[in-house]
Amino acid sequence: MRLLLVEDELEIQGFVKRSLTDAGYEVHTAEDAHTAALLASKQVYHGMIVDLGLPDQDGIDLILKLRKDGVSSPVLILSARRSVDDRVKGLELGGDDYLTKPFAVAELLARMRNLLRRNATHAEDSTRLRVRDLELDMLRRRATRGDEVLNLSPQEFVLLEYLCRHAGRVVTRSMLLAEVWGMRIQPDTNVVDVHIYRLRGKIDTEGREPLIKTLRGIGYVLKGS
Amino acid sequence: MSSKAASPIMRSAAWRISLWATLAFAIGTMLVFGMLNQYVADDIQQRSDAWLSGEVEVLGDVAERTPKDRLYERVVGEVAELASREVPNHQRSSGTENDAVFFLQAADSGPAKLWVGSGDGAASLAVIRSARVLPDIPFDARIQGFAIPFRVVSVRIADGSNIYLGLSERDELHVLRNLHARFLALWLASVLLGFIIVFFATRRMLGRVRKITEAASRIGQSDLSTRVPDTTGNDEVGHLARTLNHMLDRIENTVHQLHTITDSLAHDLRSPLTAIRGKLETALSSGVKAEDAEPIASAIDELDRLTEFLNTSLDVAEAKADALRLSRTGVDLDELVRSMIDLYEPCMSDKGLGVQIRSAGSVRVLADPALLHRVIANLLDNELKHLPASSLVCVSLRADKRMATLTVEDNGPGFDAEVSRHLFERRVKGRESRGHGLGLAFVEAVVRVHGGSVAAANRPDGGAQLTVTLPCSETEGQEERHALALVNG
Repeated sequence: MRLLLVEDELEIQGFVKRSLTDAGYEVHTAEDAHTAALLASKQVYHGMIVDLGLPDQDGIDLILKLRKDGVSSPVLILSARRSVDDRVKGLELGGDDYLTKPFAVAELLARMRNLLRRNATHAEDSTRLRVRDLELDMLRRRATRGDEVLNLSPQEFVLLEYLCRHAGRVVTRSMLLAEVWGMRIQPDTNVVDVHIYRLRGKIDTEGREPLIKTLRGIGYVLKGS
Repeated sequence: MSSKAASPIMRSAAWRISLWATLAFAIGTMLVFGMLNQYVADDIQQRSDAWLSGEVEVLGDVAERTPKDRLYERVVGEVAELASREVPNHQRSSGTENDAVFFLQAADSGPAKLWVGSGDGAASLAVIRSARVLPDIPFDARIQGFAIPFRVVSVRIADGSNIYLGLSERDELHVLRNLHARFLALWLASVLLGFIIVFFATRRMLGRVRKITEAASRIGQSDLSTRVPDTTGNDEVGHLARTLNHMLDRIENTVHQLHTITDSLAHDLRSPLTAIRGKLETALSSGVKAEDAEPIASAIDELDRLTEFLNTSLDVAEAKADALRLSRTGVDLDELVRSMIDLYEPCMSDKGLGVQIRSAGSVRVLADPALLHRVIANLLDNELKHLPASSLVCVSLRADKRMATLTVEDNGPGFDAEVSRHLFERRVKGRESRGHGLGLAFVEAVVRVHGGSVAAANRPDGGAQLTVTLPCSETEGQEERHALALVNG
């Protein structure tokens, strides 16, 4: 998949490009709105990452211009601003997403994946989730590992479901807080970690292969198939 | 409903102004009428006095010239009778007898020589004799048997007797009474009309003021870009609206400037933070050895804490200046607190802390949910960081019609005496605290921007207690309805 990254800060552009390339995307970059518009008019991109503070134009104006020109690929907006512009909210309603700086690379990747998937509109099997020997029955809200039925609280089930949907990929604490608990907070205590430890205690019991892995400073990953 | 709607109207300024204006109008018209009444009464009296004087003169003449024979009484009586019929605007009495006028001829003492009028005249004579009478000067005589006094004038004739002519003041009183009744009706009608006109005029005028007040309070709560309408008039209200708008321009400028400063500060700091974080993360995920990973991971943690500190301190700065940007929606505090406790409970029980929720159900407030999440997270983080194991935290939520009260209390050691005085100031923290000391300052600032308040105290039986009050959204709805009721009258 081909992505267009519009970011004027070269250091940020550098590591974002590297992470996206590592994740298997083909990435084209632009440092300003003019170049970006030119690139977007020449070829089709599956997705775009646009910083709002571009030297020659506001990122929002660039996106709105591209939309007017018929470019419909989903956009992940990067913003170093404190308040969310109403126009950004409008774009969010239109299916685009935004991420405030500084962000975790894992979160950027997850959101980009989400956007691309949303665009591809392929439906997943929503009744049953399977990762290795872990199986989640979404209708009966029941999880099993191998033959053993896991005794999970509703909260833990939602947490495990999220990890399973992102199996093999890193999820950060703030992603978990936002998606599982629905809050954008940065607690300065280890509240999320304790939930993960408890879940791990129920899933990765003695004698089984540990599935939930902690990546210090980054987040967690549930081993994929 | 009507009694509820009536009392605000009676308390309104329009009502009071109309009452005072009407009172002044009523007193003024009453004074004018009093003077008019006096003038009319005097005029009527003068006319009847002139008539009386003329008639008594004529009658005196007649009495003098008529020979004192058998026919004297007849002739003079006839003339007096005729004269009495000339009374202007004469109101006929009910009977055949003429009781509006009497004619009396009498010497200084002894019985009446001649009496023309109703009754025998003895009572009249007694009253007239008891009064000091100067010739030719009319006087009032109250005569027994007549409800209305007589106006009497006398003349002395050559034979030494006096001739008295009395005219009942009935006509005069009748005219005046008519005047009074008409005036009273007219006065009442015009006072009522005046009151209604003044009331509606002032209410319309004050309605413009109220519109301005409502607009101004809306502007104060939500956005600063809107302006008070109704600035076109050249009267005081127009001036008020324009002055208010000028003031809003200045406030908006100041707030805008603050936003520009905080935004550019945030922007300038966030870009390098993003770059550093990105590099650290890339380094961490590119397969470094375990002993190298540890410092990188903790550097990322520190960086996140720094970012959070930056965000929070800018939020606090804006909130202190009443310039925090809120996106308010209806929030159920009960639901919000429960989901926060769900998040925090495992961590707390790991630390050996017990948590209790006491709540009677849904409590709706109009607030920015993201900020409220952070407020409650701050309160719970505080408990987590400062409480010794096996303490108990109790979160209770209650609400009355106006305010929702959230209390977080524990049975721990409570606040340090030295800290508790400056609890809500920036950078104040306990000796052992590892936080950045912004937590409670943030809580206080955010709650205040929402129109609430925070109080901290040590409980009498030990432990700390933090109380957050927020205005309920229902009351705001009620106030709006209240205002509508006022507008509709």
